[in-house]
Amino acid sequence: MKPRAVILSLSSDYGCQVQMSNFPELLEMLSTFELGYWQLVSSGDMPQDYDVAIIEGAVTTDEQVALLEKVRSIASCVIAIGACAVTGGVPALASGGPVRGQLKDVYGSGSSKVGIGARKPEPIKHYIEVDFSIPGCPIEPAELSRTLQRALRALTDNPERQSMCGECKTAENICMWTQNVPCLGLIARSGCNAKCVSRGRACTACRGIAHDANLASAFAFADSMGCPPEEFDALLKIYNAMSDQELRKEAVGKIAAQEVAS
Amino acid sequence: MYFRILAKDHVSTFVEGLAHVYEVFAPVKNESGFSFEQVSDGSSIVLDYPMTIIPPKKYFVRSKESLFRYDTHSGDVVESELEVTPRVLFGVHACDINALLMTDKVFLGDYEDPYYKARREHTLIVGVSCMPVLTCMCDTWGTGEVQQGCDLFLTDLGDRYFVTCHSVEGAHVLDTFADTHEATAEDTKALEEHLRAFREAFSRPVDATSLQLLFDAKYNDELWEEIGEACLSCGACSAVCPTCYCFDVNDELDADGNAGARVRCWDSCMNSQFAEVAGGHDFRPTRASRVRYRFYHKFWSYPARYGKTLCVGCGRCDVACKVNINPRRIIGALQEGARS
Repeated sequence: MKPRAVILSLSSDYGCQVQMSNFPELLEMLSTFELGYWQLVSSGDMPQDYDVAIIEGAVTTDEQVALLEKVRSIASCVIAIGACAVTGGVPALASGGPVRGQLKDVYGSGSSKVGIGARKPEPIKHYIEVDFSIPGCPIEPAELSRTLQRALRALTDNPERQSMCGECKTAENICMWTQNVPCLGLIARSGCNAKCVSRGRACTACRGIAHDANLASAFAFADSMGCPPEEFDALLKIYNAMSDQELRKEAVGKIAAQEVAS
Repeated sequence: MYFRILAKDHVSTFVEGLAHVYEVFAPVKNESGFSFEQVSDGSSIVLDYPMTIIPPKKYFVRSKESLFRYDTHSGDVVESELEVTPRVLFGVHACDINALLMTDKVFLGDYEDPYYKARREHTLIVGVSCMPVLTCMCDTWGTGEVQQGCDLFLTDLGDRYFVTCHSVEGAHVLDTFADTHEATAEDTKALEEHLRAFREAFSRPVDATSLQLLFDAKYNDELWEEIGEACLSCGACSAVCPTCYCFDVNDELDADGNAGARVRCWDSCMNSQFAEVAGGHDFRPTRASRVRYRFYHKFWSYPARYGKTLCVGCGRCDVACKVNINPRRIIGALQEGARS
């Protein structure tokens, strides 16, 4: 019997699910699983029982927290896909202040009628245990297929640890910094073959902050190149507002202290 | 001793002739700088280039390659992925040729690597002279000249090349595809002048006397902590290094899970996973220990085994490293400490 998988979404733009539907090997991939539910394309309900839950999107409501807890109690394997699910992604940009205040900023006097049960946006791992994380905005479908095969064989997650620069050099790109463009490749998790820089755009660290990243040194380097810590941190926040908050604060503080000292 | 003169006007014809028989790879200019690419049109080649971002090692140990494919049900190897076509690398600098001689020691030594070996054997190398840029330090290691490791070497004499032949096949392709003529006394004079200009173009000499001894004594120096604090652990240094050859091997399954590929890809000792072993023990758990390891491999342990420093002074790491970690700085820092 094939394991049953479900694909569901929390708060996101469904880009990763669209990306999956573009994957040429999608049918081959799904031949190893019974696809019980796919939120983007299914009209029916989620089945009561499944083995693998593939979840896109950030957690932004009480209802989603309850759903996640239920899913975790059923699925033996949970796979978070995409920046929103893995790091909080773009939704987590709104994690800095109280939700009610933000709703008021947007909706004014009618704000009490909207956003019932809204929470500060957070990645899935803040609520439930996640077995595999597939980062990126959007994901690399081939990475999902490799991960599903690992899950089937009861292997553990094996994320890339290094930051992007080595991979970007291997792709023979000119460094964005030499063209005075701040680039987050310095600290971004590798694994996409430096896709953006290869197409002439700076890395935004949509894959998250690398395990091996040296934030203090990267912030200091950026500062030396005329990109002050606040600016570098603002770039980093786009996809990583909730990641390594302490280390980032420390790095910003260290540079400020050095500037005061000099 | 076989040498000829090749007019620069005739290089395109030579390359195009070679391209009838071989796949030809040569430096070309693109948005990023210079890189070795396959060429069929001789006019796209740029032979007076400063350095390519990635050295020619990419043709011998690929950044990522499938070694073989296997059936996941039977466990059998179903196809070997080694396909070799006759190639010419045209326009390789002396430092990069010397780097290949160093990786040869590793891949053609006690444990022969069949992939590397087959590619090496089927690749002709045409070297080309250069003038140093600020980051070059081949003068320190004596790797700015070639005694072996190429088939032809072109030395730039302005409007022509002085071509020296280092192999029978090199002489054969030169005679077959290139319109050359005999060298005159004037050509020899121009060659002398080129060599003098090359020697005099190095403006930042590095004295590497007793370097290994210095490394030996300074294993616990606080320098390594300082360098470790700055290192971004990104692996740019090892990616661009012509003498960094470490790799990782992984299995990648097809989407349907019925077959897979055993994949080799470049690895870096800057990667925190590099020295981790089963059970989770890590031989080099800190950034400082990893960055130190890379320099000790290059300047202490490789020379201890093979009698030569594992650096050809190409300067690529100097360009690639955002936080200024490179042999010139390390050697300087070790020597400064020694004097104080």
